[in-house]
Amino acid sequence: MTLYDKIKTLYPELTERDFMTVITLQNDSDGKGDYIAKWEHPTLPKPTQEQLA
Amino acid sequence: MASLIPSANASGTGSMTLAGPSTNSNQTVNIPDVTGTMMVSGNMPAFSAYASSSQSVSSATPTKVTLGTEIFDTNNNFASSTFTPTVAGYYQINGLIRGTGTTVTVVYVAIFKNGSAYRRGTQIATTLVGSTQVSVTDIIYMNGSTDYLELYGFVSATSGSTFEFNDAASTSVFSGCLVRAA
Repeated sequence: MTLYDKIKTLYPELTERDFMTVITLQNDSDGKGDYIAKWEHPTLPKPTQEQLA
Repeated sequence: MASLIPSANASGTGSMTLAGPSTNSNQTVNIPDVTGTMMVSGNMPAFSAYASSSQSVSSATPTKVTLGTEIFDTNNNFASSTFTPTVAGYYQINGLIRGTGTTVTVVYVAIFKNGSAYRRGTQIATTLVGSTQVSVTDIIYMNGSTDYLELYGFVSATSGSTFEFNDAASTSVFSGCLVRAA
């Protein structure tokens, strides 16, 4: 399951637009995988590492 | 009448040679009536590289495009899918990706400068099954030492998000060249 899938499972109400505006996931193709580059959602808190594990 | 004043560099020991043409024809070089750095091929970096295989990516996750094959890299400024020019100036930069997946809803491409999104190009928002190609272009100032550029793509699909390579070296490409010195 990708980071995107995990976040969508945690917050099903998130829209695609959210991931292009207030939330930015990123992968630098350096072998470290996907990560949250920006989380500025006005109501939903940034998921913790435990929630994403 | 204008004068020509040779000026030796205080720190260098190399000599400057003005070479005549290799034919019997007379040639004239007109110097512009401005102060600046003369650009020749040796100090005008240009590069072009493409993805030589398809790259699976996570949906809705901007991902650095892996550009494994160089078409040319005149100044050895392109490595690890990153362009780090050693000549300061203004660069024409172009990027292109083809995104594919199952029920693709959004595809866009962006130029990243120094690790952050700098210019986002074409963005296609649609529901389709298949591939869609998007591009980005801009003129970007680079300081010639620490500034670097990368190409990132974004594919949102229900599954199988991919930067597609279709065996034509034309679907995921990153290129650029110096158009004006600093």
